[in-house]
Amino acid sequence: MESRKEEFEATCNLFINSVSNYFKHLTEIDSDMKVPYLKESEGLVLKDFTGMIGISGSRQGFVYISANREMFADLINMFIGIEDPSNEDILDMAGEISNVVAGNVRANLGANFMISVPTVFEGMPTELNMPENVSIYVIPINWNGHEAFVVLGLD
Amino acid sequence: MSERLLIVDDSSVMRRTIEKNLSDYDLEIIGQASNGAEAVQMVEDEKPDVVTLDITMPEMDGISCLEEIMKINPDTKVMIITALADKLTGLIALDKGARGFMYKPVNANDLAKAFDKLLKRDGK
Repeated sequence: MESRKEEFEATCNLFINSVSNYFKHLTEIDSDMKVPYLKESEGLVLKDFTGMIGISGSRQGFVYISANREMFADLINMFIGIEDPSNEDILDMAGEISNVVAGNVRANLGANFMISVPTVFEGMPTELNMPENVSIYVIPINWNGHEAFVVLGLD
Repeated sequence: MSERLLIVDDSSVMRRTIEKNLSDYDLEIIGQASNGAEAVQMVEDEKPDVVTLDITMPEMDGISCLEEIMKINPDTKVMIITALADKLTGLIALDKGARGFMYKPVNANDLAKAFDKLLKRDGK
């Protein structure tokens, strides 16, 4: 039992490192990780815009990154110089960050850690099939004054 | 003479980031595609010299797309730019004909280093 817990925490740390590297490498601004916690109540922890990746293969579950419009808009402005991006661009940015964060952990977990293309949504999705029997770990982060959540659900 | 570039990624922001970061190179951007199937059609129609290619995409993934591009024109210089950071994926892509491989997140310096090497390799 303890080894499963340790494995889960080790996987969570890979995601934390992946998020940290994303912001540092692309923006040269460090992100602050707040104290992560295991989520035990019902419902999703969401900000306004979310990019979600399904995980299959050696592990089953999902990871999503959720933040308000301002954080994704800040990133888009840094990358391509657009100050007032469309909702489509904001959702695209949410999907791309999720994709990179999830894909990068394959450096440690290997090619059997398979990831889907991103699902993106604004607000609360009307329909979302969440896998059952997953432990859900919430990692609150702060980057450049913006709060966001990285939420990892793994079997 | 400029080499002709096709940018393939399912993220529109990523495609525009690549375009912006490569704007100092002598490359004519002939188009962008958001999935592998669209990219294969554009390679058939436009015969680009260089392709930046994502792997995780809807409809047709980047590895299948790479195989199709190599059938159409094996001289196409394909630079894989993907979030899939495991070594096996990189080796598969190189084995199937990619000339280079980059792991996202990719910043302007990373792209510059890779494209200096990619374009210089053929003396252009």
